[in-house]
Amino acid sequence: MLLKIAWRNIWRSPVRSWVVIVAIALGVWAVIFLMGFSTGMANSYVDSAIRLEVGHLQVHHPEYLTDREVQFVLPQADSVANLIAAGPGVQAVSVRTLVGGMLSSARGSHGLRVRGVDPAEEAALSQLDRKLVEGAYLPEGRRNALYLGKKLADRLGVRLRSRVVLTFQDLEGNITSAAFRVAGLFDVENNGFEEGTALARREDLNRVLGRPGAAHEIAVMLEDAALADTVATRLRNRLPGLDVQTYMQLSPEIRLFESQISASVYIIMAIVMLGLVFGIVNTMLMAVLERVRELGMLMAIGMNRPRVFGMIVLETLLLGLVGAPLGMALGAGMIRWYGRHGLDLSAYAGEGLSEFGMSAVIFPDVYPGMYVELAAAVLITAVLGSLYPAWKAVRLRPVEALRKL
Amino acid sequence: MNVLDITGVTKVYNPDTVPVHALRGVDLEVSAGEFTAIVGPSGSGKTTLLNLIGGLDRPTAGQIRINGIDLATLSANKLIDFRRDHIGFVFQSYNLIPVLTARENAEFVMLLQKRPRAEREARVTQLLREVGLEDRMDYRPTQLSGGQQQRVAVVRALAPRPRFILADEPTANLDSVSTANLLDIMARLNREEGVTFLFSTHDQRVIDRARRVVRLEDGQIVSDEVFDR
Ligand SMILES: Nc1ncnc2c1ncn2[C@@H]1O[C@H](COP(=O)(O)OP(=O)(O)OP(=O)(O)O)[C@@H](O)[C@H]1O
Ligand SMILES: [Mg+2]
Repeated sequence: MLLKIAWRNIWRSPVRSWVVIVAIALGVWAVIFLMGFSTGMANSYVDSAIRLEVGHLQVHHPEYLTDREVQFVLPQADSVANLIAAGPGVQAVSVRTLVGGMLSSARGSHGLRVRGVDPAEEAALSQLDRKLVEGAYLPEGRRNALYLGKKLADRLGVRLRSRVVLTFQDLEGNITSAAFRVAGLFDVENNGFEEGTALARREDLNRVLGRPGAAHEIAVMLEDAALADTVATRLRNRLPGLDVQTYMQLSPEIRLFESQISASVYIIMAIVMLGLVFGIVNTMLMAVLERVRELGMLMAIGMNRPRVFGMIVLETLLLGLVGAPLGMALGAGMIRWYGRHGLDLSAYAGEGLSEFGMSAVIFPDVYPGMYVELAAAVLITAVLGSLYPAWKAVRLRPVEALRKL
Repeated sequence: MNVLDITGVTKVYNPDTVPVHALRGVDLEVSAGEFTAIVGPSGSGKTTLLNLIGGLDRPTAGQIRINGIDLATLSANKLIDFRRDHIGFVFQSYNLIPVLTARENAEFVMLLQKRPRAEREARVTQLLREVGLEDRMDYRPTQLSGGQQQRVAVVRALAPRPRFILADEPTANLDSVSTANLLDIMARLNREEGVTFLFSTHDQRVIDRARRVVRLEDGQIVSDEVFDR
């Protein structure tokens, strides 16, 4: 009965109730959208960082990560890689020789890291072959071919087939140099990577290093990021004496980024809900003040305070119960649409996003638990917003309320 | 036993600022089954007295007992339940809940008392029929005339079988036909159900129907007459 009265009461001022309902719906929609957007952005960053840079796991010589010296090579890298690849949950493995140095052209020079790889292995892991914009991805039979970021090529003023010189420290600690030829250019939406990394065939790099079969890093891509810790533990047991690290350990900023994004979404949610609280207080206060005589009559004939209080809270909750699903449907629909088609920000953000290693096309995504959290937030907001008006209502004294004209 | 005993009741409004002595020592006894009018000029204290009897307000001094229970011993929250269970109210206007139908309004107090549905429906249907509203049961208050609304209010007050019904100028907003009609109904229900009615009025036609007339003037009872009708 209380529910029936409350429900009918909210339709006594349909316009006013709709204003609140729409405000709640819009607030919910905005939070969902922002959340989906941020999650999409985080995913884009994380995916790109994992794909291009770290993979899910990496194996190194125990001292390699400390100062990334070229002499800390992995013993028997290829058989270790085969062992890893045979394990469960492993999707792709790439054995890399890593050389840091200076790349020079006639126009200038730039520091970078050259990743010596097996082209097919590396393509399966980082999919860098798909980012080709000009030339070819490490073509067979061409000696000292280099796969270079387009941005770096522009900086150095080099084009396809240009000759570049890589100066680096060899295994004995001597500064040596070797000539490479630009065979292909790639474009990834990550400026740091594009300007700081080049790919070469591992055998070419090992030859100039003077150590055939050398490797510094085995990068591993798993079927699911969630397996990282389990597989890492297993590998640590199987490969004592080697350094096995997960992407979280290698790139703590990935986790930081994710947690900051979700923190900022919660802050936004709190702000939206705070705004709604004030709107609700205002509306419900009006609804109470309009009905002073009626409330006085109800209390006179025996409706007790908890019931009157409950009625006002219930009316507010009902507004939220109509508004929140509307907003959720709207938000979910939008996330669904853009999640499939992508939200292209290149017109607004331009190059800005790729500075941070994010794609300009965002695929918004929300985790399902979000809707539950949001529903709870709206209900809490509604209850908070109704407390003061409800308190006002129960504080009315029937005699005085009934005397009001 | 009396349903109502009032001894030495005074009521002073705004005692600290501009004191208004609305009641100055009222003594009154009402026994079961009475049909009593409280009359007097405007400002004589009728509403004040009915509010005190109904437990809507507290006297400055004196004692009000309903069925032997001193209202002063009840806390504010207890008083609300006491009103719900023992007193029926009919006000001059704004009696009904606008979002409920005549039947739902009539059932409302019984509902607050958590009476079973079947009992509520039977009682309210019968009473609404008795007051001539059988074909208006599903109308909202705005679809009813003032007289019809007051009849619904009387049914609501009567439905839970209270000790007595307090009605403060129940006919003040009604035309003479509706007034006569409402009084017929109240008088009949008083006879048939044996429920005590205590109502205030300045309307001579209403006064003429009362079997006891208590006259208030300036916060004091100046006459108390019983008529045989
Ligand atoms: N809340 C209040 N505060 C101050 N004075 C009040 C209050 N209520 C009533 N009074 C005063 O008390 C006196 C009695 O008022 P009351 O309403 O009881 O008279 P009444 O007989 O019902 O009059 P009416 O016939 O006009 O309804 C009046 O002088 C009135 O002004
Ligand atoms: Mg009055």
